[in-house]
Formats: sequence, C-alpha cells, structure tokens
Amino acid sequence: MNQFVRTVVAYATLFMLGVLGLAPFAYMLLLSTKRRIEIVAQVPPELSFNFETIVKNYNEVLFSLGMASFILNSLIVVGLSTLIALLLATPAAYAFSRLRFRSNHGLANWILSLRFMPPIAIAVPLFLMMRYGGIEDSYLGLVLPYVSFSLPVIIWILIGFFDEVPSEIDDAALIDGCSRFGVLWRVLLPLVRPGLATASLFSAIFIWNEFLLALYVIDSHELQTIALGAATLVSAQRPIDWHIAAGVGVTTVVPILVFSVFVQKYLVRGLTAGAVK
Amino acid sequence: MTSTKKLLVSPVLWLLGPALVYLILFAIFPLFYSLRLSFTQLVSATGEGSWVGFGNYVSLFADPLFWNAAVNSFWFVSISVSLELVLGVALALFFNLGLRGSAVVRGILVLPMLITPIVVGVMWRALLNADWGLISWLIAQFGIDPPNWFSSTTHSFVALVAVEVWQWTPFVFIIVFARLQTLPQDVFEAVQVDGASAFQTFRYITLPLLKATIIFAAVFRAVDAFRSFDLIYGLTFGGPARATTTLSFFAFQNGFQFQNYGYSAAISYVMLIILAVGTVILFRYVNLRVEQDQ
Repeated sequence: MNQFVRTVVAYATLFMLGVLGLAPFAYMLLLSTKRRIEIVAQVPPELSFNFETIVKNYNEVLFSLGMASFILNSLIVVGLSTLIALLLATPAAYAFSRLRFRSNHGLANWILSLRFMPPIAIAVPLFLMMRYGGIEDSYLGLVLPYVSFSLPVIIWILIGFFDEVPSEIDDAALIDGCSRFGVLWRVLLPLVRPGLATASLFSAIFIWNEFLLALYVIDSHELQTIALGAATLVSAQRPIDWHIAAGVGVTTVVPILVFSVFVQKYLVRGLTAGAVK
Repeated sequence: MTSTKKLLVSPVLWLLGPALVYLILFAIFPLFYSLRLSFTQLVSATGEGSWVGFGNYVSLFADPLFWNAAVNSFWFVSISVSLELVLGVALALFFNLGLRGSAVVRGILVLPMLITPIVVGVMWRALLNADWGLISWLIAQFGIDPPNWFSSTTHSFVALVAVEVWQWTPFVFIIVFARLQTLPQDVFEAVQVDGASAFQTFRYITLPLLKATIIFAAVFRAVDAFRSFDLIYGLTFGGPARATTTLSFFAFQNGFQFQNYGYSAAISYVMLIILAVGTVILFRYVNLRVEQDQ
C-alpha cells in the first residue's frame, strides 16, 4: 500500500510538472487569440476561440507590424552566420582533436573562455567597426560579429564529437594516401554528422535570440531581426496591447520549439560543450 | 626545411588559422578597442574621444549608481544560482526515478532555456499582471491580495529572480540528471543492503559523486546570470527606481541610452575582470578536457 501511494504521488508530481511547464506557453498562446477587451474582461481567459479574431490578430502581428519580414531577416542572418561559423570551426575543431602541437590545450581553453565574455563589452566596438566598414545597418553587419559569437561554442561541441571517433580511422586513411584535408572531408565529416547538427542548432538558436548587438547595428525597421523586432514591439518601457504582444511572443517562439524537437537528444552536449563527457 | 617553411606547410596552420584570425579580428580586437574606450571620454559614436586616463574608473567607483548596480548583480546572481542548484538537483533526483513518460515531461521542462529572453520577459509580465494576469488571479483565489509586481522595488526584484530561476533551473537539472544516469548502480545497491536511509544515501554517496558537476553548473550559471541583459530589458527595464538594474544593464544604459561610451566601456571592463576571476575558478576546479571523474 505504501509503495502504491508513493507511486501515485510520484506520477501526480510528474503530471503537475508537465502542466506547470506548459502553462506559461499555453497562456501566451491563448492570450494571442483574444480581443483587447477580452484580456481584461475574461480573468482567467476562457478556452473559447473566435476564428476571425485569431486571423485578425495574426494578420496584424505578421504583416502590419512586420513580424513575417523579421522572421525572414533572421532566417537569412542565422543561415549565413551558422554556415560561415561551421566552415571555420570544423577544421579548427579537427586540429584541436587530432594534431599535437604546442599550446593545443591552452589555445582551446582560451577559445572556450571567449564564451564567457559579456556581449555588452564588445557590442559598442563591434558597432563602431561595422560603421567604419560601412556595413552598419545591413545583414553583413550582423553576420560578421555573429560568426565570432558562435565560433567558440561550435568549436567545442565539435571537438567533443571528433574526440569520439577513434584516430585509427584517420591513420588508415592517411596510409592509403589521403591528405589531412581529404581525411577530414571524406572520412570524418560523415562520422560527426550529429555533431554538425548539434552545433548548427545551438548556433542557430543563439543567433535567433540575440538582441543586444542587433539593437546597435540595425537602424532600419525593415532590416530588424526577430528578437529586435519583438523587443521594439513589446518593450517594457511603454504600455502595450497584450493580445498583440502575445502574438509577437508566439511567432518568435514557435520556430525555436520546432528546433527543440531535434535538439533534445544532444541538449546536454550542446549546453556543456567542453566539459561533461 | 627552414622553420618558416615548416610552419607554412603545417596542417595546424591551415586548419586552425582561419578560425583564429577570425576570432582575433572580431572578438579580441573589439575587446582591446573597448579597453581603449574605457580610458576616453567618448559621448557620441563618432569614433575618437579625448583621453581621460583612469578618469572613468575613478568616477565609476565614486558613483552611487554603480554600487547600486554592483549590489543588485551580487544578490541577483547569488540568490538565483542557489535556487537553481537546489531545484535543479531535486528535479534531477526525481527524474532519476525513471517514471514512465518522464522523457516527455523532461522535454517540456527544458523549453524555457531555449526561448528568446525578450519573449520570456513579456510572457511573465502578462502572467504577473496585477489586474488580469493568471498568477495574480491564482494568488487571489487563496484570498490574498496579489502584489503589483512591477511597481514595488522588492517585488520586481523577486519577480526577476523568479523568472531567471524558471528559465535556467532546467540547465542545472539536465546536466545533473545526465551525470546521475552515468553513476555506477552497484554503489547504491551496496549501501541499501547496509541499511542506509534515503537521506544518508543522498548526503554521503550521491552528493559527493555529483560535486564536480554541481560546481560546474554553478559557475556556468553564475557567469551567465551575471552577463544577463535581455531578460532584464524585457521584464523590468531595470526599474522601478533602479531596483533591478544590474551591472550589465547599467553598462547598457550608459552606452545605448546616454551614449556615454567611455563610461559604459569602463563598467564592462570591471565586469570582465570579475568574469576573468570566475573563469579561472572554473578552469581550476573543473578539469575541462582531461578525463573528468575517472
């Protein structure tokens, strides 16, 4: 009996945790389907939906307020930055994992320590640099700094994955006359595919959420990225329309929730890149 | 071969070079630029400012607003991280029971740390809205008057800590859980045979085995909470009456709002020094690349 009660309590707790975990998201989703007046009038909001209101709200969020184009901007910036970062990081991670050279560990740790840098410390200089190069207020002005924000984490995620591939595989390929580059490109890359996926997803989520640098670099309304666009629409400084704010929140978060399905399996490795093995 | 030639054909150079050059250009150079800025009086974004030596740092340490932000940062980081550790370890132990369906719930619980901090801020401003927010309504059901969260200094600080804990407890949870899953089961079976209570097992077996992981999580979380900026921007905007202005938000305000770039750079350099100490501690206690706990 005692065992039975414990099991029931345990499952009840698990269920409650699930509900509590989903509740804030569900609440935001629900608010985004209401009219302005209903948010104040229905406390708590009723689980009834009016299709017309939903269409009207999301039409305003996506098109009148421009969230659709912010999403497009973010996709371009995320895609370019992640691609460039992967191209730079993969050979570097391979070198750290395989080659013996002086200061291998020191350099790798130094790169990892860049992850701890407060973005506020380099946002202004980066902005001034982009301005000097005449690329402030452009996609490129965001992509160049974002690549350097992503590099440390990507390198470290990939080192972990390369370390798992036995180096006998490289040796065999080298003996067969493959160049170092050939080994990396033809033999190892297919083996570390999950690593490449994990690294890209983490880099993508990070850049999707980035807001401080975008605030400095981007001036034009039509170039705003999703986090910046969302922040300007729902800033804590001024009164807001909550049904619209909730819609902005939903549109910002939905793509990440889709990503998160793929990220679950490698979550730990991505979050603790460089540490827990 | 001469050593220059050797270097030029070395695979290390070709594999590592591009990434290193990139980081030097877009991370290290800005960092030094920032250091230079912190010794100048630069009040608009034209580029050049007048050299003031340690002037910014001197006024910084005499500025009550700086000390206010430093104290806020200290409490924000220490309270949030402690709560995250306790709750995260508790969750990890609970999920280690291996209940059916727990993988799904785990998937739900990790969501907060993936989503945009700006949106987290808005979401919680809605939940905590004094007039119609869901949480205020729940509180009212218990016959308690819900506080006006964002107009009182104490309450808004509490709200900020609560939301930070909500967003980042999953981080501690997920890495402690991963560690628990790799612990050898025979130790636990042995002490159970010896008649150890659940608390004794936790205190003398589980906790020591988790020590390295917990320290790691604590340092990671402390650094990130210290750097945290977006959440404050989205939730409280540093207010009311600067009650939630941390160092990072203070640096932002001086740089972006007041365009006092030199002063802002000085604040971020103070933060960098504090962070450097934190990183050194991390590298000291948690052996990053060498086999951990083996």
